[in-house]
Order: sequence, then C-alpha cells, then structure tokens
Amino acid sequence: MATQYEIPIGAQHISLLEPLHFKFTTENEKIIKAEANVGYVHRGIEQACCSKFKFRQVSFVVGRVCGLCSISHTTCYSQVIERMMSLDIPRKAKYLRMLVIELDRIHSHLLCLSHVAENSGFEALFMKTMAYREFSMELLEAVCGNRIQYDYSIVGGVTRDLREDVARMILERLKTFKPQLDELVDIYGNNYTLGLKNKGVGVLTKEDVYHLSAVGPFARAAGVPIDVRNETEDRLPWKEVGFEVVTENSGDVWARNMVRLRELYVSMRIIENVINGLPEGDIALDFKGFPNGEAINRVEAPRGELFYYAKGNKTQILERLKIKAPTFSNVPSMVHGFKNNEYASAPAIIGSYDPCLSCTSR
Amino acid sequence: MKLNKYRKKSPWILHYNAGGCNGCDIEILACLGPKYDIERFGMINSGNPKQADIMLVTGPVTKRSRERLVDIYSQMPEPKVVVACGSCTCSGGVFRGMYNCEGGVDQYIPVDVYVPGCGCRPEQIIAGVVEALAKLEQKTKDIEKSIRLDRSPQINNGQVDRREIAVGIAPGKVFG
Repeated sequence: MATQYEIPIGAQHISLLEPLHFKFTTENEKIIKAEANVGYVHRGIEQACCSKFKFRQVSFVVGRVCGLCSISHTTCYSQVIERMMSLDIPRKAKYLRMLVIELDRIHSHLLCLSHVAENSGFEALFMKTMAYREFSMELLEAVCGNRIQYDYSIVGGVTRDLREDVARMILERLKTFKPQLDELVDIYGNNYTLGLKNKGVGVLTKEDVYHLSAVGPFARAAGVPIDVRNETEDRLPWKEVGFEVVTENSGDVWARNMVRLRELYVSMRIIENVINGLPEGDIALDFKGFPNGEAINRVEAPRGELFYYAKGNKTQILERLKIKAPTFSNVPSMVHGFKNNEYASAPAIIGSYDPCLSCTSR
Repeated sequence: MKLNKYRKKSPWILHYNAGGCNGCDIEILACLGPKYDIERFGMINSGNPKQADIMLVTGPVTKRSRERLVDIYSQMPEPKVVVACGSCTCSGGVFRGMYNCEGGVDQYIPVDVYVPGCGCRPEQIIAGVVEALAKLEQKTKDIEKSIRLDRSPQINNGQVDRREIAVGIAPGKVFG
C-alpha cells in the first residue's frame, strides 16, 4: 500500500468562489477519500425570517440567501405564501417570473461553465464565456434594475412591468447570442485538450444519482430526467412556453457542461415564447390578511430543486421557514464523485458541481 | 526602488468571501472578465495571501469564517489595503443582528475603502480598487519615511546604537 497523504482545499482557495473546505486523502495522486465541510457561510437567515422581518419583507431577505439564484429564492418564497393564503396571482406576473428565472439561469450556467474552463486551465475560454455572459447581466439590469439581487418577485406578483423597448432589446440580444452559444457548444464539446481534462472525470453513474439523491444538472448529466419544471404545472406554466428536459448519459464533467449548454437553448426558447405571448393584465395582486397554516413549494433553481416550507399563525411574522437548497442535496454525491480521480482534476470537478454554499448553509 | 514601482503599477488581489451571498463575488469575477477587465490596471487575482497587496472582502463575517479572515489578513505582507465590497461587508447590511453574523468586516480587520451597494456594481468595485491604489502608495511612503532616519545612527564601541533607530520609527505611523 502506498503512503497516504491528506491534502486540504479551502476555506480560501483560488479555484473557489466561496468558503468551502475539502479534505482529500490521496494515494499516488489518486483521491481515495474526500470529506466536505460546508458550514462556513451559516448566517441564521431562517431564524431572522421568523423573528425580525414581517412576511412581506421576507421575500427581500431570502433573496440575500444566494446572489446567483436570488430570483429562485424570492419566487419560491412568494409562491409558498401564495399557496398558504390561496392567492391566484395574475397570469402576466407568472410569465414575468419565468422570464427572469430563465435569464438568471443563463447567467448562472455561463458563470459555472467559465469557472470549469478556468479550473481546467483553459483561461482563454474563461474570458470568452465571461464576455458572452455579460449580455444576460445587462438584460437583467434592464428588466429588474439591478445586475444581481433583483428583488423582482414579491408576495402577490412582481415589482416591475416589462417595457416595450426592453422586450425588443431582449429579443435582439438573444439573436446575437445564439451563434455565440453555438460556438461555445462547439468548443466545450469538441475541444481535444479540454476533453482530456473533462471526459471521464468526476463520473457519477445513474445508480449513484438514485442512491445519493442528486438533483439538478448534476443528476441530468447522468441520465436521470429530474426537473421540477417538468413536474409541477400549477404555479408556473412551464409546458406552455416550450420547456423540455435535457439529459446526457456519461455523467462526467463534460456531460455536465453539455447539459448546461443545451439547457441554455431551452432557456432562450422559453424567453422568446414568454415575450411573444406575454398576456395583458396587472403585474401584482392586492391582498389583505396574514398567512395561516402550512405550505410547501418547489422551484427549479439553476442548480436543482429548491424547496421551501413555511408555517404561519395569523400574524405578521411567520412561525417557521425552512429552506432546502439544491447544493444541500448534492453534498453526498459531490463527495462521492471525487473518488478514483487524479488530485490535479479536483478543481475542475468542484467547478462542474457548481456548488452554492451560501444556499446550502443559509 | 523598483519594487515600489511595480507594487504601485501591478497590485495583486486576494479575494475572500467571509460569508456573503456570492452576489459581490460574481461581480468581482465579472471585473476580472473582458468587459470590465481590471487587468488593464495590472491587477491579477492571486490565490496566495503572501503575494497579495489588496484584499477584497465580501460578506458580513460569519462566526466561523472570522478566524480564517484574520489569519489570511495577517499572512499578507505590509503594505496592504483592505477593500470591503458590498453593504453587508461594510456594516452588516440585511444580515445585521442575525445570530451567526458579526455585522461588518471592520470589527476584525482595518478597512481602508468601503464599497457600498447590494450588490456593488463592477464600476464601483473598480473605483474602490483604484482608490485603494492611492492608499497603498501612501502606506508605502509612510513605511519608507519611518525607516529613514534624520541623522545617521551612532556607533559605540563598534556597534550600532539600535535605540536611535527605534526613535526614528513613529509607532503609530508604520501601519498608517
């Protein structure tokens, strides 16, 4: 048996955006065991939401759980309160929520892809992907008024209407983005050098996905069609705007890249359909009363299934709010995916997991 | 001295997330990207605190990350400047008063430049970092001044009198 070494990554590391600690046990460059430590970002948001903020303010607070998928958090919270109070929000508000969720997905997936490219050592592709990503940030700023932390969904609807010129701008920018995305698919899919770093690395099989209950692009890359947009229809009408599930079979870093890239095509189609078929009407609903009872809700965030549970007691302040973020479900499979890989490919694997620790530990 | 020139012209950045929401972190990443491109100021994101001159901190300092924050700060060589990016980094922001948050980076390490906004825009971050460059230059000058003595040290019995040098350094001046 060769000598075993323990190598840590984190809490501060160049390949990590946020404090995350991995402890690898390696044997001749090969990782045989990994341990994850994800609690660095715990702030106590759930407790503050149940004691300090009123239920209408909470939608702005839960957006600060995560800066990458803040719209998913605010939408999911708004929906859980709407479910509890049996509010039926205007159809236009639903469409606008879908629009911003999909724009957010474009920027989040492109960020993840650029991160994988950088961690694999392909700096030029990182720059290229970041350059192509900027259009989505500009569109989000035009729609919501801020590049990140949009605060777009509130309980009962959305905060801003979509202006005519902004809608035209989105369609134009999507048209210019489409050839760029084709180029990215070509590079990520066919580049030989990147393939050496990505193909067959960090493999998670279909059985592992069922066994370790992975969600999101992580599971879809292994061939399991898990997507909340496919399962729920009552809160957001995903099917009628042309949603379909994207899956790959090999379950490695390359497959995760391809799932994310091909999901961008679906997102673009959804955005186009939303803008072309935007219904008339109000953007928000006036309502009175306080939440009472219990409710759960799920939304497909860029990283997978986001779950909210809320309990109200007829007062301004909620009794309980529980957030289960997609990365929290993915932690066991993240640890499993490292096994029998080279230590040198660990940063690329971490990048392809797209971990969001501020979601995980709230 | 050449080192000072290069330090001024190409400061290296260290980024640490002390429990933020990732919002400001992706804006820092956008700064490194081609559109905002802070490499034109000679800045590179270095992962190593021992080579960094400017520390970009985000997040309201959770109780678990504060030890790492102070540890990383103390590993950086003098002169160093700290830029706090985002409202929650400056004052705690929306997280102020939550049970696991400390409410601001400046309770633990000295902050030179505060960048407000939730999340702060890349333009603001660039303005903050350029502001930090001026501070870095000033700190470098202060350190040099403190070492330069008014008169040459006396030599008694063939040995330099260290007390003279100690007088030359004003204790408060060294670290700005």
